[in-house]
Amino acid sequence: MQPESRINRIIHHLQREWQIYVMLLPTIIWFIVFLYKPMYGLQIAFKDYSIFRGVAKSPWIGLEHFEYLFSNDQFIRAVWNTIKISALNLLFGFPAPIILALMFNEVLHATYKKTAQTIVYLPHFISSVIIAGIVITAFSPSVGIVNTVLEWFGIDSIYFLTKPEWFRPIFVGTGIWQEAGFGSIVFLAAIAGVSPSLYESAVVDGANRWQMMWKITIPSILPTIIIMLIIRIGNIMEVSFELIILLYQPATYETADVVNTFVYRQGLQNGQYDFAAAAGLFNALVAFVLVMVANTLSRRYSRTSLW
Amino acid sequence: MSGVQLSQLVKRYGDIEVVKAIDLEVQPHEFVVLVGPSGCGKSTTLRMIAGLEEISAGSVTINDRVVNRVAPKDRDVAMVFQNYALYPHLNVADNIAFGLRIRKTPKDEVDRLVAEVADILGLTDYLKRRPADLSGGQRQRVAMGRAIVRHPMVFLFDEPLSNLDAKLRSQMRAEIKRLHKRLDVTSIYVTHDQVEAMTLADRIVVMNDGLIEQVGTPMDLFLNPANTFVAGFIGSPPMNQFDALVSGSPEAPIAEIGDQRMALPSLPELSERIGSKVTVGIRPEHAQVLTPSEHLVHVQLEIVETLGSEALLHTTLENNPFIIKTETEGYYSKLEEVSAFSVDPAQVKVFDIETGRVFGQSGA
Repeated sequence: MQPESRINRIIHHLQREWQIYVMLLPTIIWFIVFLYKPMYGLQIAFKDYSIFRGVAKSPWIGLEHFEYLFSNDQFIRAVWNTIKISALNLLFGFPAPIILALMFNEVLHATYKKTAQTIVYLPHFISSVIIAGIVITAFSPSVGIVNTVLEWFGIDSIYFLTKPEWFRPIFVGTGIWQEAGFGSIVFLAAIAGVSPSLYESAVVDGANRWQMMWKITIPSILPTIIIMLIIRIGNIMEVSFELIILLYQPATYETADVVNTFVYRQGLQNGQYDFAAAAGLFNALVAFVLVMVANTLSRRYSRTSLW
Repeated sequence: MSGVQLSQLVKRYGDIEVVKAIDLEVQPHEFVVLVGPSGCGKSTTLRMIAGLEEISAGSVTINDRVVNRVAPKDRDVAMVFQNYALYPHLNVADNIAFGLRIRKTPKDEVDRLVAEVADILGLTDYLKRRPADLSGGQRQRVAMGRAIVRHPMVFLFDEPLSNLDAKLRSQMRAEIKRLHKRLDVTSIYVTHDQVEAMTLADRIVVMNDGLIEQVGTPMDLFLNPANTFVAGFIGSPPMNQFDALVSGSPEAPIAEIGDQRMALPSLPELSERIGSKVTVGIRPEHAQVLTPSEHLVHVQLEIVETLGSEALLHTTLENNPFIIKTETEGYYSKLEEVSAFSVDPAQVKVFDIETGRVFGQSGA
């Protein structure tokens, strides 16, 4: 009796709400075609894959690729580089849009505020190729603005993009420049959702703007910050590799080569698809664990979570 | 003492004047209710007193000090907001203590004051809860706690009960009244609900379109409305109003409405109006259907709305809607047969048809 009535309920529900599910359909199809169907190919991480035999007919070889992977110094280096770059990104890149949003919120002059916002949003809409071009030009040893300024102070010009120690600061800085403005929109929206009467009540209580920011605005947008942090942690292994590919060169592989660029070079440039698939799968597993952990911690300590 | 004076107070947004040079004097310890329809300027007036809106012209005086240029925090007022304005991330105790902490009150003093206020408002058991875990009435009490804890000279209430359901609203109404009796702090209360105004106020200020229509005690406004607006706003249901032609003599003026005749009070102004039209107002309570009378006014009964001990008879008087409020006890079965009412001429109000001003009163 019980399960039947439940099925009936579901059928009833679908009959009543089918329009909503129809609207959901394109997203589901997108997920199936672009994310779930390719998962079938993941099995080559455990196979001696050859394009001539195809995915299904290639022989199983167990964890051989993984064993090779973890004995590969380049891969270990790429994992560490990924973690280091992501940690820097998290440390500097994550607070940047929040600070920016808080600053925009304090700007009272409407025209000035809009102009400033437009200017900081702009880099987001520029292709990474052009961004990389701008960065390369800016840091160029001969004509770059950075070296020109250094020369004013009598400092010898530095060929930044060939120096491994400069790669991470430049990469993280570029990321902030490109995305902080656009990222602040989410936090601005969260700030806009804070009831004005909270501020009015605080004004009557005698709070100044600084106190209002710390005691009202930040706690009020904390749930948004946490959600964004969870998503960010989940993406820790996904360093924006287009920009790395555009900015790095063999001279800076030491600090610049991340798992994704390693996968790209091994898989697409060297044709080792199975080996690259193993590296990619490892990356995805780590990311999955990270999201789970971050979400659980957040749910336990702040009552906010993605699911 | 801590009274509040508004003189020639104006609020303009661009070219639009939303508060039009109003004057009002609130006595120390008094509970004054500003009441009026949406957009009448009552909330704006309150916010100007609080310092949340800039004053376009005129002045606000609190405790004999003009506060136009004084920051809200230094006006010594506390405000209770319609949506409670509680900080969702703080528990009840921290919410109540917020203003004290901002003012750097010593910790034991904060604890003592919070405990005292929680006791007054019956919140002692809820101090550790967050607002999200409280009922609407409890949240409202926390909001009031936040205002009380600072011992301000003036309380400002901006429609504090409008988010509550009817039953809670009447409970909280009584609680606010009790609180005012106990704390005896000058209070200015904004509402659009005339029942709230009638039950809470020492004096009611009826506002409309940025102007004060009338100021008076609740009964004063009920019995002697200064104009058709107040008559139509105060009372539940409000005063019946219809246009009629004045006839008869100056000593015994009569209102003619269609074929119906009704005696009017003999007012000096009426003698000049014989032969012209006026607006006649009769409170639903003053129309008698149960006592036999010679001067009956005939109506068509449409529906009987029974409220228990009372009933509302929705009728039409020569195509004008006319509501009669009457007791039900012992008469319930006869109410369906009502076809006429009588009214004591002394209780009939007559208003100027053009200006809406009442006749026979020196005015508000």
